[in-house]
Amino acid sequence: MIRAVRTCFIALACIAFSAVLAASIWAIAGDPGQGTLPQLLSENMSRSGVEHPVTAVLLNFRSYDTLLEIGVLVIAGIAGISMSKTTSLEDPELRTSDPLLYALQRWFIPLMLVLAGYLLWAGADRPGGAFQAGAVLAATGVLMRLGGIPMDFLRPGLLLRLGLVLGFSVFLLAAVVSVIGGDAFLAYPPDMTKPLILVIESVLTLSIAMVLLALFVSAPVNDAEDPEEGDPS
Amino acid sequence: MTLWLMAGLLFTPLAWAVLTLLTDFVWGRRVTWVGILVQVLVSLGLWLTVAQHGGFYYDLGGWGAPLGIELRVDGLAVTFVLLTAAVASACGLHAGVYIDQHKPWHRYFWPLFWFLWSGLNAVWLGGDLFNLYVGLELISLSAVGLVALGGNANALRASIRYLLAALLGSLAYLLGVALIYGQFGTLSIAGVVAWLDNHSAPAGPGLALALMITGLALKTALFPLHRWLPPAHGIAKSPVSALLSALVVKASFYIAARLWLAFGESLGSLAAAQMVGLLGGAAVVWGSWLACKQAQLKQVVAYSSVAQIGYLFLLFPLTYSVSESVSLQAQQGITLQVISHALAKAAMFLAAGNLILSVGSSRIDALAGVSRFLPFSLFSFGLAGVSLMSLPPSGGFAAKWLLLQASLGSGQWWWALVLLAGGLLSAAYLFRIYRASFAENPETDQFFHPSKSLEIIPMVLAVMALGLGFVSEQVLSVMALPFAEEGAP
Repeated sequence: MIRAVRTCFIALACIAFSAVLAASIWAIAGDPGQGTLPQLLSENMSRSGVEHPVTAVLLNFRSYDTLLEIGVLVIAGIAGISMSKTTSLEDPELRTSDPLLYALQRWFIPLMLVLAGYLLWAGADRPGGAFQAGAVLAATGVLMRLGGIPMDFLRPGLLLRLGLVLGFSVFLLAAVVSVIGGDAFLAYPPDMTKPLILVIESVLTLSIAMVLLALFVSAPVNDAEDPEEGDPS
Repeated sequence: MTLWLMAGLLFTPLAWAVLTLLTDFVWGRRVTWVGILVQVLVSLGLWLTVAQHGGFYYDLGGWGAPLGIELRVDGLAVTFVLLTAAVASACGLHAGVYIDQHKPWHRYFWPLFWFLWSGLNAVWLGGDLFNLYVGLELISLSAVGLVALGGNANALRASIRYLLAALLGSLAYLLGVALIYGQFGTLSIAGVVAWLDNHSAPAGPGLALALMITGLALKTALFPLHRWLPPAHGIAKSPVSALLSALVVKASFYIAARLWLAFGESLGSLAAAQMVGLLGGAAVVWGSWLACKQAQLKQVVAYSSVAQIGYLFLLFPLTYSVSESVSLQAQQGITLQVISHALAKAAMFLAAGNLILSVGSSRIDALAGVSRFLPFSLFSFGLAGVSLMSLPPSGGFAAKWLLLQASLGSGQWWWALVLLAGGLLSAAYLFRIYRASFAENPETDQFFHPSKSLEIIPMVLAVMALGLGFVSEQVLSVMALPFAEEGAP
C-alpha cells in the first residue's frame, strides 16, 4: 500500500516537473532568437585553424572547457585504477584460445583502427574528432580483451599512467607555451594553430581511449583494503 | 606580471596533478611541497595585484566572451583563491604525514588532491555558466575519488552515494544552463546580466534559475538534501574530510550565491528567497540537533557542517528586495562565514584525525583521558569550536554579527532567532566532546603520540579562524574594490 502511494507520488512529481519544463521551453522557444553567437562564430572561423565549427569551439574558442574536461576523464581513470590492487588489470583466466574469435578479430581490429584514424582526421571539416576516435579505439581494446588477447600494457604501472595523462600533458604544455610569448593562457600562435590542434587531437585520442579502456578493465579484484580510521589495523 | 600570475594559478595545479601521478607517494609528497610553495606565492601575488589595481576580466585563449571564456578576477574571487591556498596547503602538508605511505594505492591521493585544487580555482574565477559546470565536475569527481581511495566497502558505499547526489545536482544545474542559453543566447554571466538590465525579465528562465539553485543546493547539502554528506565526510581520511567540508561544499554554494546576486532580483521571487532561507534555518537547527546525538567523533563534525552550511543560505532572503546597505551587510556576513567556517572546520577535522589516531577509536566515549595525553590537538579542536560557536573575537562572531544586523535592518527578525538557536546548539554538541575528553578512565593509558607537525597544522588554522575577527575589516575592504568592467589585464 505504502509502496503504491509512493510510486503514485513519484509519478505525479515527474509529470508535474515535465509539464513545468515543457511550459518553460515553450515560452523560451516562442521568444525571438537572442544573441549574436552563431554570427560571431562564423566570422571568426577563418582564424580558428579548422573548418568544422564544433571542432573550432571545442579546441580553440572554448579550449579551456575541453582542457578541464580531459582532466575530468583523467580523474575518472585515476579513481578507477586506484581501486584495483592486483599487479595486472588483466585477469589471465579470461584469456581464451577460441580459434573462431581470433579469426573474427583479425578482421575487425584493423578495420576499427582505420575507422578511429579516419574519425580523428575527419574532425577538421566534418563531425568527428578526438572524443569519437578515442571511443572507437577504446572499443577496439574492449573487443580485444573480451576476445582474450593478452594486453600487457594494462598494468597499473608507469606506462599506463603515462598513457592516461599523455594527451592532457601535451594540451597543457600547448596552453602554457603561449604565456611565455606574453600572450594569454591557451592562446595558440596564429600560424601554428592547425598543426597544434592536430597534435593535440591525436594524443587526446590515445589518452581518451586509454582512460575508457582502463575504466572497463579495472575493478576491485581482491579483498585487501584500507582499514577505517580508528579501526585496529 | 598579471599574465604570469594568472597562468601560474591555472597551470600549477594541473601540472602538479600530472607530475604526482607519475611518482610514488613519498616522491609525490616532495613534489607537492614545491607545488604548494608555488601556488601559495602565486595566489598571494594575485591577491596583492587585485588589492592594488582592482579586478579585471581575463580572456582565455585571447577570445573574449561570448565567443570564448572569460575569467572574472575580482576581490571576492582572489580572496577565495587565497583561502583555498591556505586550507589546501594545510591539508596537503597534514596528509603527507597522516596518510600511510606503505599502501600502494595512496599514491593516487596526490593527483586527486591537485585536480581538486585546480577545480576550486576554476570555480572561484569562473565567469561562464558552462565553464562553472566543468569546474564543478572536476571538484566532484576528484572529491569522490578521494573518499573512495582505498576501496573499503563502507567508503565505496558512501562515495557512490556521494557520486549519485553530485551527478544529480550537476545535471539539474546543466539543464538550467541549457535553458538560460536558449533564452539569452550567451553563457557569460556578465552577458546575461547586461541583457536583463536593458530588457524586462522574460517568463521562461525563472525555472532555469530554480533548477540551477536546486542542483547546487543538493551539492552543498542543504537540508533536506543533506543525507549524502555525513557518511562521505565521516568515512574519508581526516585531511580529505577537511578539504571536503572546508572547501568543496563552498564551491557549489559560491556559484549559487553568484547566480542569485546576478539574476535573483529579476528572475527570482520573494517566496523562493524566503523558502531557501527557511530551509537554511531548518538545516541549522536539525543539523545541530543530529550532531548532538552522534556516537562517532567525525560524524559530530560532519553534522556540524550541515548546520553551518544552513547559515550560508540566509543570503537569499537577506539580499532579495532589501536596501543596498542591508544587502551589502548580508553579503559581507556570508563571506566572513564562508572563510571562518572553512578555516575552523578544516582545523577541527584535522585535530579530530589526530585524536582518533591517538586513541585508536573513532567513538566519542573512547576520548576519555585524551586531555592529558594530547592537550595540544584538543586545544586546536577547542579553538576551532570557539569560532563555530561564534563567540567573540572569532571570525564566526563577526559573521553572525553582520548577519544579525542585516536581518534586523531588513525587518526579517525571524532569522535572528535562527542565529541564536544555532549558536546555543553548537555549544551543546561541542561541549559534549570536551566533557568526554576530560573524563578520566583508569583502564586506558595507552595512547599513540602523533608527530609534532600533525599537531601544529590544525592549531595554525584554528588561530587563523579566531584571528579573522580582528582583520575582518581589511578582508572585507578587498572585496569592495572597484571592478574595471572593460579593463584588459
